[in-house]
Amino acid sequence: MQIVINSYGSYLKKSKNCFLVKNDDKKFEVAAGKVESIMITTAATISTDAIKFAVENNIDIIFLDHFGDPYGRVWHSKLGSTVLIRRRQLEYSDNAKGARMAKGWVNEKINNQVDFLKDLKKNRPELKEDLQEYVDDIENLKSQLQEVKGDLEEVRGTIMGIEGMASRNYFEAISLIMPDKWQFSGRSRNPAVDGFNCLLNYGYGVLYSMVEKACIISGLDPYVGFLHTDNYNKKSLVFDLIELYRIHADRTVVNLFSKRKVNDEMFDSIPNGLTLNEEGKAVLLQVFNETMEKKISYNGRNIKLKNTMQYDCHKIANSLIK
Amino acid sequence: MLAWVVYDISDNTCRKHVSDACKNYGLYRVQKSVFLGELNSNERDSLAIECEEEIDEDVDSVYIFPMDDQSFKKVKLLGQAFDKDLVSDEVLTTFF
Repeated sequence: MQIVINSYGSYLKKSKNCFLVKNDDKKFEVAAGKVESIMITTAATISTDAIKFAVENNIDIIFLDHFGDPYGRVWHSKLGSTVLIRRRQLEYSDNAKGARMAKGWVNEKINNQVDFLKDLKKNRPELKEDLQEYVDDIENLKSQLQEVKGDLEEVRGTIMGIEGMASRNYFEAISLIMPDKWQFSGRSRNPAVDGFNCLLNYGYGVLYSMVEKACIISGLDPYVGFLHTDNYNKKSLVFDLIELYRIHADRTVVNLFSKRKVNDEMFDSIPNGLTLNEEGKAVLLQVFNETMEKKISYNGRNIKLKNTMQYDCHKIANSLIK
Repeated sequence: MLAWVVYDISDNTCRKHVSDACKNYGLYRVQKSVFLGELNSNERDSLAIECEEEIDEDVDSVYIFPMDDQSFKKVKLLGQAFDKDLVSDEVLTTFF
C-alpha cells in the first residue's frame, strides 16, 4: 500500500520492523513488507530511523509540493545498473536513432489521446460529430509526425510543435465533454485556474515521481533527455517519457468529473488560481492508485499499469546497450 | 492467503515477542490476542517456527489458521469490527 501523509504535523517513525504514523488523534502501524511508497504532501516530522528503514526496504519516500510536483525523494545513494547505459544514452541523445525513439514516444502519446477520445465518443452520442472532428485533426497531425525524419537537432522543434498542437486539440475536446460548471480553456499550471487543471497537475506530479523512479532503477539518467533539451536541474528524460503515461492521469481525472465525484470543497482558492486541498488530494490519489492497480495486457502478459513504466524503462535501457 | 493467529501465552515478555513477530509479518491486531492478515505459505511456516521457539509448550498455545477468500466473505462481525479491507490488503492508499 501507499502511505500518504497529508495532515499537518504528522509524525513518521520506525517501531520494531514497522512504520508508525502518528498525529494528535490517530495512530497507524504497518509492517515494512506492506508498504510500497510513502508520500509526504504536507508539513510532517520524520525520524532518521524511519528514513534508514525505508531505504533498506526499497521503499521510497517522496515529498510533494503544493501543486503535486515532487521536490525531493529519499532513495539509496547508488545509481542503478551499469554506467554503459548512461554513456550510450548521451550518444543517442543527439543522433538519428534517438530521434526515432523520441518520435515513437510522441506517436504513442498521440495514439493514447485518440483512443481516449474515441472511448469518450461511444457514450456521448450527442457530441459524436464534434469529437470526431477533433479526432480527425489529431490523426492528421499524427500523419505529419510520421513524415518527420533527420537528426534530433533538426527535428526537435517540429516534433514538439506537432505534439503541442495535438494536445491543444485534445484538451479542447476534453473540455467539451466536461459538465458545464467545470469546463476550462486550455491548460494552466502554477497555479491552475480551474478545478480540472488542479486535479490534472497533481496527477501529473505524482506520475513524474513514478517515472523518475523507473528511470533510476533501470539505470537511465533522468537528466539526459532526447526530445527535451538539457538545462539546470531539468529532468529531461522524465519529461520525455511521461508523455507515454499522462493518459492514465487524464482518464482518472475525467472519470472523476463524469462520475460527479468532484465538488467545490476539494479546492482552496489562492491568488490567481486554485489548489487542491487535503480532501481533494485524498479523492484523487485514491482513485489514481486504483487506476494504476488495473491490469493490462503487455507483451502477452497481464501486468499492472503501474509496473509498465518499469518494464518500459528496462526495455529502453536494454535497447541502448544492445 | 489470509491467516488468523490466535494465542494464549502466560509470560508477558514471551507474549510481547509473539505479538511483535505477528506485526513484523504484516498482520493486523484485531483483538488482544488475535492477529489477522495476508501470509503466503512460507511466511506462515516461518512465523510458526518463530513462535514455537518463543513459547513454553507445556502451558502456552499459538494457533495459525489459514482461511480462504470465500470463507472470509462470510465472516460476520458484531460490535467493534475491524477493517475488513485493510486486513485483506485491499487498501491501496492510506491517508494520514
